[in-house]
Amino acid sequence: MNIPSELKNKWDLVSAKYEKKRAAMLPILRLSQDHFGYITPEVELAVAEYLETTPVHVREVVTFYELFRRKKEGKNEIRFCRTLSCSLLGAEDLLAYLKQKLGVEPGQTTPDEKFTLHTAECLGACEIAPMMQVNGDFHGPLTKEKIDEILKNL
Amino acid sequence: MPKLLIDGREIEVPAGSTVMQALEKAGVKVPYYCWHPGLSIAGNCRMCLVEVEKAPKPMIACDTKVAEGMVVKTQSEMAKKARAGTLEFILANHPLDCPVCDQAGECELQNFYMNYGLYDSKFDDEKVKKHKAEIIGPTVMLDSERCILCSRCVRFCDEITHTGELGIMNRGDHEEIGIYPGKELDNKYSGNVVDICPVGALTDRDFRFKCRVWYLTPSDSVCPGCSMGCNIRIDSNLSRPHHAKGERVMRLKPRENQEVNKWWMCDEGRYGYKFIDHDRIVKAKSGGVDVEFDQAVSELAAFLNVAIKSGSQSKIGVLVSTHLSNEDLYAIRKLFKEKLGIENIDYRAGQKTGYSDDFLMKADKSPNTAGARALEMNSPAAGKFIEKCEGLILFGVDLPSLPKNLRFLAYIGTNNNSASKAASIVIPGAVYAEKEGTFTNFEGRVQRFREAFAPLGDAKPEWQIACDLSAKLGIKPALSAGGLEFQSAEAVFREIAKTVPPFEGLSYESLGNTGKQLKQPVTSRS
Amino acid sequence: MHLRNTKYEIRNTMVKIVTKNFNLKDSYLLSTYESTGGYQAIRKAMDSMTPDQVTEEVKKSNLRGLGGAGFLAGMKWGFIPKNSTLPKYLCVNCDEAEPGTFKDKYLVSLDPHRLIEGMMIAAYAIGCHKAYIFIRGEYVRPYERLQAAVDEAYAKGYLGQKLMGKDYALEIVVHRGAGAYICGEESALLEAIEGKKGWPRLKPPFPAVVGLFGCPTVINNVETLCHVPTIIEKGAEWYAKIGTAKCGGTRIFCMSGHVKKPGIYELPMSVTLRQLIFDHAGGIRGDKKLKAVVPGGISAPILSAAEIDVGMDFDSLKAAGTMAGSAGVMVMDEDTDMVEALKVATRFFAHESCGQCSPCREGTGWMYKIVKRICDGKGRAQDINNLLSIGQNISGTTICALGDAAAMPVTSYITKFRDEFEEKCKMKNEKLKITI
Repeated sequence: MNIPSELKNKWDLVSAKYEKKRAAMLPILRLSQDHFGYITPEVELAVAEYLETTPVHVREVVTFYELFRRKKEGKNEIRFCRTLSCSLLGAEDLLAYLKQKLGVEPGQTTPDEKFTLHTAECLGACEIAPMMQVNGDFHGPLTKEKIDEILKNL
Repeated sequence: MPKLLIDGREIEVPAGSTVMQALEKAGVKVPYYCWHPGLSIAGNCRMCLVEVEKAPKPMIACDTKVAEGMVVKTQSEMAKKARAGTLEFILANHPLDCPVCDQAGECELQNFYMNYGLYDSKFDDEKVKKHKAEIIGPTVMLDSERCILCSRCVRFCDEITHTGELGIMNRGDHEEIGIYPGKELDNKYSGNVVDICPVGALTDRDFRFKCRVWYLTPSDSVCPGCSMGCNIRIDSNLSRPHHAKGERVMRLKPRENQEVNKWWMCDEGRYGYKFIDHDRIVKAKSGGVDVEFDQAVSELAAFLNVAIKSGSQSKIGVLVSTHLSNEDLYAIRKLFKEKLGIENIDYRAGQKTGYSDDFLMKADKSPNTAGARALEMNSPAAGKFIEKCEGLILFGVDLPSLPKNLRFLAYIGTNNNSASKAASIVIPGAVYAEKEGTFTNFEGRVQRFREAFAPLGDAKPEWQIACDLSAKLGIKPALSAGGLEFQSAEAVFREIAKTVPPFEGLSYESLGNTGKQLKQPVTSRS
Repeated sequence: MHLRNTKYEIRNTMVKIVTKNFNLKDSYLLSTYESTGGYQAIRKAMDSMTPDQVTEEVKKSNLRGLGGAGFLAGMKWGFIPKNSTLPKYLCVNCDEAEPGTFKDKYLVSLDPHRLIEGMMIAAYAIGCHKAYIFIRGEYVRPYERLQAAVDEAYAKGYLGQKLMGKDYALEIVVHRGAGAYICGEESALLEAIEGKKGWPRLKPPFPAVVGLFGCPTVINNVETLCHVPTIIEKGAEWYAKIGTAKCGGTRIFCMSGHVKKPGIYELPMSVTLRQLIFDHAGGIRGDKKLKAVVPGGISAPILSAAEIDVGMDFDSLKAAGTMAGSAGVMVMDEDTDMVEALKVATRFFAHESCGQCSPCREGTGWMYKIVKRICDGKGRAQDINNLLSIGQNISGTTICALGDAAAMPVTSYITKFRDEFEEKCKMKNEKLKITI
């Protein structure tokens, strides 16, 4: 597959920072995901060739790390925390509310492709528990009303 | 050299050794899955845990370096508990596939449970479901539920074949070994991953459901696929002839020989055994009609007698295949060249070449070219005599086109081909699995192969046929007069060692299980 | 940016070392850091101390590893082989995925230059010219602040071929993770930088000898390095006195759960858990009673309400049968269902186990299945002992500490709150009682 030159340039720029070529794996996968929306098999094959490894060793990395997507997702990514402090403060009920509101299970995208819901383990924001991350921003402490408000503004 | 105590016994090992290597030297067995002497250390199965005095927790033997004065205990409560505990984890999600799994009978989960487990399982939940019975290549089947994720197969493809087809996807107890979609495991050595898989996750498609392993009879041998001479084991089904359509050979496995093939063999050799049980010449023929063995030998002897009496040895050619053993070749040379004066003997006709690499596959697709050369089975005329021959005796050599002057053709060999169909006299020969003998590999290494089972039908080893022929020719059998009456293949080899300089000093005993070099190595080009 | 609780009550003139700039406007800018005395310590170190003297100073300060292991930072630096010709690396662990922990997020968001200066001093001490900061993939805005700070330092000529303008190169690369708790483990972090799955390595050899790309490497937590500039500036003795006998200085405690004032609190190591909960974090919400506390991230064995008069330093908590860990303090009130809490904990470990070695891979998933079944009302009498047995079998048999970490909540919650577990298992059996 031909990687668009603008993306390839980014690959080259970031690879130059590392002593070993293979070390650029995570950053170039992330750049590719930002570009295409998710990691396609074509990307895996191209990355394998670029890093001089085999495609299965790229797929290993893609399936190991949670933040790499293997299919197209909605416009807004919601990661809802369900680890200890958030659970202590009612995350489970709020998650049920959110699932019902969006009409999806974790891992799924809404039919209008506006939201994809994921459950997440501790995101490092226990001081605002219960919380969720939307497109990189942390939101909390959540209530049903707060959730409504956040989704409305997206 | 550090000294350590293993279960109370003092052992000395080279510096830098691991506890596992020390255990091997001491002859102490510990269970392990992921460790393999031919692969890098993974240390992930945690089965080889042993107690090391002064260490707060059990240590894995495969990756713990020996220190002077170390005290290792493999039978202590800590070691036993750690082992049984690890085994329970590995078996927790393992499917109860034994009744349908080919690995049963040679499975390290079964074996280790009987030796080190024997606990009542407390797993009482639903096991993780994964892909089952997945074809990942022409010769390998993958069952991810059975896989214990020891990563031996992944390391083999990375470190031995450098082809990197296999990987471990996902995380935690949902991990699965897999191949990249659209690709397949077919790197000419794929079959080895089945050998090294300790469980029934990777199984051989060729062997699938063919025969239970406890019905197999093993026999040490040497692969005849090329001049590499990889050491192998023939696993035959002799006790259940109603299984597998009456085939005898069920599968070939590599046999460890650090000087030749280490622990591996190629797929071409591994799956190239069908000729042993298929399309064999089992009965002698004369003029296309089945006859008794003796009759065919007599007719051939009669032809030779006529030719010798009329002094037309130069019109006769003998072509020998380099698939024949040293013993076969020597007996043929002794009879035809020494006794009958036929100079036109050559081994180069019909030799096949093929794919080669810098690992285990040689271009010369026969096992004994170096032997033929050491035994001087090449005529000075470099085989050009073939065109002028009126009589040809082929020992396992197929000639697609026959010389125009040919009036007599005899074929002595194992499988049907165009030459055997054209021959007026056909005598059945024994394949390598059906006789004792030796091959000389490309490096001049002489290696023994054993008789796995008796020859099919009326077939006999070629050295034996040479003896029968010599008897029919009226050559005095008395050994003192140089007769050709050998009682065994070993007897032939003893004479080779006495009379053929490159083989000096060798004997079946000295060859052992892993062979020995010729005194003057005769290296072949391929 | 959501960061809350950036204003602190200064009690008893308690000293602030790493959070002292947090309340300043634009605290994250290089100019702000310098205006408060920043980037002086590195100059002092390079001008008037040898690398070994720097290491000695940090050793004497009793600075402990604040990511969780509590290993003496100066001692770790001292493990770098002096006679190796290989390049040395410094890796900063900003994976911060231990549940209950969120301090490093604040450090890189509000005072990233403190971290950079700490890295400079560490690099000088160990002879390193290339450093990586590994920041977890989920930290998006903090990453942007961190990268901007690194860029500022380069632009000012503080980083690059000439560290602080002197003849010593130091490059810093910020490497983003991609979502795996295990990458907080030192050797798994190295694997992730090298572009592979976060599978911890077999040890020995340890990273100080064979680390990143096979070269000697020091891995330090963000906060640990943030303390270094002040140690050099004010001296090891000053720093060591603030803490306990073997645990120097202050650390940031992360309070969350059922407390009235969740957030970060920088306090001396000598503070007690009771003081943390009731004096600083405002006590229990709704003025309910305290039931249990996890003192150092989810891996730390739980303490009951009767056990909170313990110092929050590494040694005191170890003596109390738990650990200081990452200082992620999660407080549980009287209405907390301990079985449900354990379900959350076991689910976490089952999700995050990297899967490399058998006991953790199979054991974490197994323990979660059992606890979930108990929560669903399908518990069996033998489940409780089975859980304890599984926890015991995982401990000490794995490649890395995640296995032990997964076992500790199981063992401690059941040991200290066994009656709750037994009650839950009984419920199902009672429902099955058939009256004839």
